[in-house]
Amino acid sequence: MNSLTVLYDSSCSVCCRARRWLEHQPQYVPLKFVGAATPHAEKRFPELDSAETLKQLTVVADDGGVYLGAKAWLMCLWALRQYRGWSLTLGSEAMLPSAQRFVEWVSRNRK
Amino acid sequence: MNAMVVTYLIYIGISISLTVWVARTLFKNGRVFLVDVFAGNEELADSVNRLLVVGFYLINLGYVSLALKVQQHVSAASTSIEVLSWKVGLVLLVLGGMHFFNLWLFSKIRSRSALRQAPPPVPADRHIGSDGTATPA
Repeated sequence: MNSLTVLYDSSCSVCCRARRWLEHQPQYVPLKFVGAATPHAEKRFPELDSAETLKQLTVVADDGGVYLGAKAWLMCLWALRQYRGWSLTLGSEAMLPSAQRFVEWVSRNRK
Repeated sequence: MNAMVVTYLIYIGISISLTVWVARTLFKNGRVFLVDVFAGNEELADSVNRLLVVGFYLINLGYVSLALKVQQHVSAASTSIEVLSWKVGLVLLVLGGMHFFNLWLFSKIRSRSALRQAPPPVPADRHIGSDGTATPA
């Protein structure tokens, strides 16, 4: 896997802050950011449902893998040098349900 | 040659022998770790191994040299043995500490390398096919 494209809601302040934070972290896998449901995103990924990408963070890997919600966040952490260990811990069978609940709660309450 | 000088010479002999023995053990057995860490790049592993051993020698021989001076007067064999026992004991503790530090360093380098090669934590929800169709994972 050589790159990850992150589709985020560019009108949401939490998402924009997260994007800025991610951009400044040292990365194992380069992260590219594209605003969700923008003409650029729709042209690049016509297979994806724009409404769905606005609702939850979406990551598309260069091998075609699509990750949604908590899995997308975990993939973002996995791409970072200092947080890959965290992504593996949070992505374990024991932790994943809690991580998913937390991300769903943030997604519901973001502005 | 008085007892004091003999004590110094024995101390230096034992300390250097111990340092060389531990350094060689580290060099021989640490190589396997480093070759694994550097994904089979034996040249790089050997280079890092040699550099680590040089650091190991410098620190240990530096300590042995600094700790050479004997404070009390040594005239009898029993005093010499007591002094040697104390000083060699300290050298052994320093060597042990350095050895465990090196082991910790090797395992840290190794776990960092394993992390670098770790696969994604979760499977994809679905795949986007090259023909433009979405397929479930």
